[in-house]
Amino acid sequence: MLLIECPWCGPRAETEFSYGGEAGIVRPLDPDALSDEEWADYLFYRANPRGAHRELWNHAHGCRRWFGVERDTVSYRIAGSFRLGPAGSETGKGANTERDD
Amino acid sequence: MSEAMAESAPDARVDINELPGRGFLNVRLDPRDKHAVKSAEQVLGQAMPLVANTYSSGTHRVYWLGPDEWLIETDAENAAALSGELGEALADFNVAINDVSGGHVAQRLSGPESRTVLAKGCTIDLHPREFGPGQCARTALARATVLLAAGSEPDSYTIIAARSFTDYLRHWLTHAAKK
Repeated sequence: MLLIECPWCGPRAETEFSYGGEAGIVRPLDPDALSDEEWADYLFYRANPRGAHRELWNHAHGCRRWFGVERDTVSYRIAGSFRLGPAGSETGKGANTERDD
Repeated sequence: MSEAMAESAPDARVDINELPGRGFLNVRLDPRDKHAVKSAEQVLGQAMPLVANTYSSGTHRVYWLGPDEWLIETDAENAAALSGELGEALADFNVAINDVSGGHVAQRLSGPESRTVLAKGCTIDLHPREFGPGQCARTALARATVLLAAGSEPDSYTIIAARSFTDYLRHWLTHAAKK
């Protein structure tokens, strides 16, 4: 079982969390200006790397907040978790202690 | 709770009791807004816990649920009035106060084996060094989402869960206590 560190609640068992896919996917500001290929790329295509992967997790049984985790997809080793700020401004663990909303 | 007591094995060394007449308010506010926190504290007469996984005791119990979310446990008959008072005091702030009394039930688990029984279905470290009086955690117990709080007496816990999970949890705890 993975031990995932929730940025608010601390380390908890994997069973308390749900997985949300790749982190840092930014919705295009003007979808009408995109080609079908670009829109499909935003909707469906993900990096699926072998190695370090930044991904979204939700602490479903805990504080219910979304946050980011950097996990190695080969070893499953978790390098750390981070809070989510406004799009494109993800900050390292502990840095973004005040929410920016 | 005669049914629960009848179910408990005489040697179970664990007591499960529903706490009757409890009311619950869910409060959302931005803790960076010191004035909002202070206004809420003035109405409550006790601290809003700002440290994760802690609760404050006083007239009510105020549990930390998330970085901008709390659960207030109070007398059921007092819940509506308290909700109104909080709403009035916090009218100028960006807050949400919801009476969730109908959806929640508090149970008390006590007895020398209570920690062992809980540990069968809960992944957090329940040792008093890690989870002592004043601490709470929303976590999973036997796969149900619960708010677990360590009582001031050793080996006593409050379990607050959705009303629909209450019977399931009581049966699970009773069963777990037998083995």
